[in-house]
Amino acid sequence: MAQFIMIVVSAVFINNFVVVQFLGICPFLGVSKDFKSALGMGLAVTFVMTLTCLITYPLYALLARFNIEFLEIIVFIFVIAAIVQMIEMALKKFSPSLYNAMGIYLPLITTNCAVLGVAELVIDHGQMASLIGLSSPEMMNMGFAVLYGLFAGLGFTLAIVIMSGMRERVARLPISKHLKGFPIAMILACFIAMAFFVFALI
Amino acid sequence: MNSLLLSSINVSSLLIVIAIVAVLAIVFALLISLVSKLCAVKEDERVSAVSEKLAGANCGGCGFAGCADYAKALVEGRATINDCGATANEQKEEIANILGLPFTATVETFAVVKCAGGSKCKDKFSYVGNKGCTFQTVFAGGSKACADGCLGDGTCADACQNGGIKIVDGVAYTDKALCTSCGACIKKCPKQLIELIPKTAKVYVACSTKCRGKDVMGVCEVGCIGCGLCAKNCPEKAITMVNNLPVIDYEKCSGCLTCVGKCPRKSIKEI
Repeated sequence: MAQFIMIVVSAVFINNFVVVQFLGICPFLGVSKDFKSALGMGLAVTFVMTLTCLITYPLYALLARFNIEFLEIIVFIFVIAAIVQMIEMALKKFSPSLYNAMGIYLPLITTNCAVLGVAELVIDHGQMASLIGLSSPEMMNMGFAVLYGLFAGLGFTLAIVIMSGMRERVARLPISKHLKGFPIAMILACFIAMAFFVFALI
Repeated sequence: MNSLLLSSINVSSLLIVIAIVAVLAIVFALLISLVSKLCAVKEDERVSAVSEKLAGANCGGCGFAGCADYAKALVEGRATINDCGATANEQKEEIANILGLPFTATVETFAVVKCAGGSKCKDKFSYVGNKGCTFQTVFAGGSKACADGCLGDGTCADACQNGGIKIVDGVAYTDKALCTSCGACIKKCPKQLIELIPKTAKVYVACSTKCRGKDVMGVCEVGCIGCGLCAKNCPEKAITMVNNLPVIDYEKCSGCLTCVGKCPRKSIKEI
């Protein structure tokens, strides 16, 4: 249980993928204009991250057995692209309404570096042991990896939803023409990042 | 750097690499093709044919989320061809042929703001608050003393995708060259001051007030007082007075500009 709480706090707050590790900035700024699409994007990313961890973790063990770990990036990208492709087709068939809601954002997840980031992170046992407070790197297993993937995705969702809420409000304010739109979004992102950095100091 | 030399490449490990990546590729290719077979959704090929013919402005003026969505709506019969203002008539005719629908050509139009008040129209109060005419209207109908006056807060300018609307001297002006007639601004204007008129039009009525002359005089320097001089003097009898306002019949209007010269308030403007 303590381990579970540690994973949640670490993945969602202390090492939030977007605002602390600065991964996946593109959808964070691009799809955060309104709350609904931000939430949809966040949940889609969460889903893809969890599935990616589920597949890449054993796949990396396979690569390590043949001593060809250097292929990890190619293979991981491959897996992510394939998963996104399949999810897109499955959504189109079984939930057209969700497919329409996510529309263009779904294929965009393929190139989201947060997804590759989490896949790369969970295979690094030493790093993971220190991140989620394991006593030794050997204790790292697939369950932790998938959980970390899930909560990293939820952390991404949290950040993008906060951002969309702030942007929706700021859009109604009389702000200077030169700050309107993207510049003010960067400033808001900076504030959110500062708030999240506090968790790292605890 | 020795490891990069060709002679130092270990052939057997290279083969393992190629084999593993190839196996992965084949497995995923099979998976994807399997999923695509299982999840095959029949798509009407007319949708892509129609969206190719559309203007592709993605202006949203039709009320759908972009041209692709509109094309789908067209095929499914949820929209009509003339909902789109940006597509040229020849293209629309081709779309009608694809869908097997009858088509009547529309006159090419552009948007005009039917107000010229701005700083020439008095203020009821000075507004400080959220930017945008929609917000301002909530407070006693906005800051302008005229109930049908342009608030000049730029909600229409924000709605225009082509930057075709400028706020000059507190009132919005459209740019005929930039207007695609998408109608996005018309939907946004809380005062409903924007109207589409034919591109061939030479004049338009730059006032929307329905008040009588005396009430207008005290409020706005350029508001229509409903005197009817334009209607009396029009050689083509193209102008009729409705609700104290001139209405121009653009089919009859020859563009002689008599009304522009006769209007004592300069409410009728030349384009």
